[in-house]
Amino acid sequence: MKRRTLLQRAAAIVAMVPFDRIRMFAQPRELTPEAIATLHAVAATVLPASLGDAKIRDVADRFVGWTRGYREGVALAHGYGHPRLVKSAQSPAPRYIRQLAALDASSKSRGAGWLALDLETRRAIIDAALVEAGVRALPPRPLGEHVVADLMAFYFRSSEANDLAYRALINREVCRPIAITTRKPAAL
Amino acid sequence: MATHETDVCIIGGGITSAMLAERLSELRPGIRIIVVEAGRSIFDTRNRGRYRERAMQYGEHPWPEDYIEDQQADGIISLTMAVGGLALHWGGACNRFSEEDLRLKSIYGLATDWPIEWRELERYYCDAERRLNVSGEPSPHPEDHRSEPYPQGPIPLSYNLQILKAWAEKSGLKFSPLPMARNLTPFGGRDGCCVYDTCGEVCPSGARYSPDFTFRQLMAPKKIELHDKTLVRRLVVDERRPTIAAAQAVHQDRPNDPIEYRAKTFVVASGYCWSSHLLLLSTSARFPNGLANSSGLVGRYMNGHRFMQATANIDDQTFPGQNMTHSLISREFFRCPGDKPFVRHDTRVWESAAGREPRLRTPEGKLLMGDELLNDWRSRTKGSSVRLRAYIDVHPSADSRLTLDPSKKNRHGDPMPKIEHRFDEPTLARKAATEAHVSGVFERLAKASNGRIVATSQGDYLDHPAGGCRMGVDPATSVCDSHGRTHDHENLFVVGAPTMPTGGCTNGTLTFVALTLRSAVAIADASRV
Repeated sequence: MKRRTLLQRAAAIVAMVPFDRIRMFAQPRELTPEAIATLHAVAATVLPASLGDAKIRDVADRFVGWTRGYREGVALAHGYGHPRLVKSAQSPAPRYIRQLAALDASSKSRGAGWLALDLETRRAIIDAALVEAGVRALPPRPLGEHVVADLMAFYFRSSEANDLAYRALINREVCRPIAITTRKPAAL
Repeated sequence: MATHETDVCIIGGGITSAMLAERLSELRPGIRIIVVEAGRSIFDTRNRGRYRERAMQYGEHPWPEDYIEDQQADGIISLTMAVGGLALHWGGACNRFSEEDLRLKSIYGLATDWPIEWRELERYYCDAERRLNVSGEPSPHPEDHRSEPYPQGPIPLSYNLQILKAWAEKSGLKFSPLPMARNLTPFGGRDGCCVYDTCGEVCPSGARYSPDFTFRQLMAPKKIELHDKTLVRRLVVDERRPTIAAAQAVHQDRPNDPIEYRAKTFVVASGYCWSSHLLLLSTSARFPNGLANSSGLVGRYMNGHRFMQATANIDDQTFPGQNMTHSLISREFFRCPGDKPFVRHDTRVWESAAGREPRLRTPEGKLLMGDELLNDWRSRTKGSSVRLRAYIDVHPSADSRLTLDPSKKNRHGDPMPKIEHRFDEPTLARKAATEAHVSGVFERLAKASNGRIVATSQGDYLDHPAGGCRMGVDPATSVCDSHGRTHDHENLFVVGAPTMPTGGCTNGTLTFVALTLRSAVAIADASRV
């Protein structure tokens, strides 16, 4: 085969490679150890300290599991009345990693690790990050806009948090005998 | 071309199809029934729990691939096209209409009367309730007389609904637990309710009725054949007589291999949208306007009900999340005195967490985190939010239409439907008075216990849509008779929602089913020929 022909074929093959897809597949689908470490630090700020360290760590770990379980390109709930076919976006993991790295960098630029910063400084950093990401309200569930808002939604939208807020064992959306619901929920 | 011969070919695989197939197999044991459904079967009950979890955690649709991407309509209320239809994810509400719905013209001089006597329809309501195993409590209004008790007692009121019932009844209105097709104990191959509280999305236990159970029960002993993923594109008329000779279809996975169904009787059970659509698509030189359409009314008088809703804040304490899919209903305004301005609606009450949910920022904009957020939330949990809604009786004009949209076609080149609802003149004329009345009812409820309305809104679509093939006695003003037999083609029936001349003022599914069970008798007779 002539060298020119070989080069032409090679160029044709390269032209057929779907770089966009490769870039997509090259994106991490899971949080890195560094990102997880920052997530745990941030979780201690944005989740209720009254839960205790172990519980906060558990919530953050379950959120990491949520990220791992995310599926791309799946039909989302169509809605009723004005239905629309919308499919799930790319995994939020790459964005989360960038956002957690930015939070980490912000704290380090102030000369301290995240937890060494005072509360108002941490609040200011998170506030700025959420505003930049366009997050105005607590999402109904993690929506991939910002990792902090999603971690907070992951917990505060849960049945467990609902019970804590009402100080009662409501067990919203938890399979249970219907007779239980006829009684005033037991106090927590 | 593959050809299938049968006694009855039912086109559509939703709740009316399931009920019709079941009833036909009882009325005529051994009858050959083929059900043809464009969407796929999702019979993996064991996975429902997982689908629910994914839906809650990730917002995924809990019925995988229950839609056909290029088979959609403008103005439709759900994308679902699968075996089970919209009743895969209905809430299970099983309210009856009232006699007034059938006598609007006679009593009020409005819209039209249905060509059915209430006492006869009531018998079929009882049958529908038995099959769906409806759980309910008799209405406190004597006009709502029932000839049989509900098959199950009412769904026990949650603590929250007990509180809300006491509150709401201070207004002088009477409320009952909403009747629902929800098993309290196992029935019909389905488990009892354990309050997953996602009835409107997916019920993992099957306690809330869905037609896939019925289809599986009919398929196992070969009482029916179910051909899913098969889209019927045309009905073909016999060359010599005005009867339907065949239904031409195509399988989703074999689009180049047409299928033909030949039957003694054809039943279009494709819901409010796709029934009219199929008839309009089925044009020929003899029937240039489609089938069953000598009146020109196929696709017209599309109906449903408007709704208004509100959130009230009251002092009584509830705990949102006990049983959010159950509600209270008042039938107080199902009847309208003849000497008063016409207004009919149901009134519903749900527990709610509206305005009492966790929030990210204070009203001043301060970011809340950790225990601050939790404490802010707790400070707003005192008292209760209540969700109120009224389904309002509105009447369609002839221009309330489903038409074929030539700009949107499926992969086979068939134009897709477009639905545009329009109201008749009297409905438009009383709109402001109706809204004032319903707002007044909401205010009356709220004020009865130191409550206040904090938000009111109106739906911008018609719920529980129906119509398009309305029934009647006169072939010039209707598409089919009271049994759904089309005036133009003796072996072609339309059943359920499309046949309804008006949409009532409460959930329609039980009525769709009752009408279908009544049609079943005539269809069984027709298929003897």
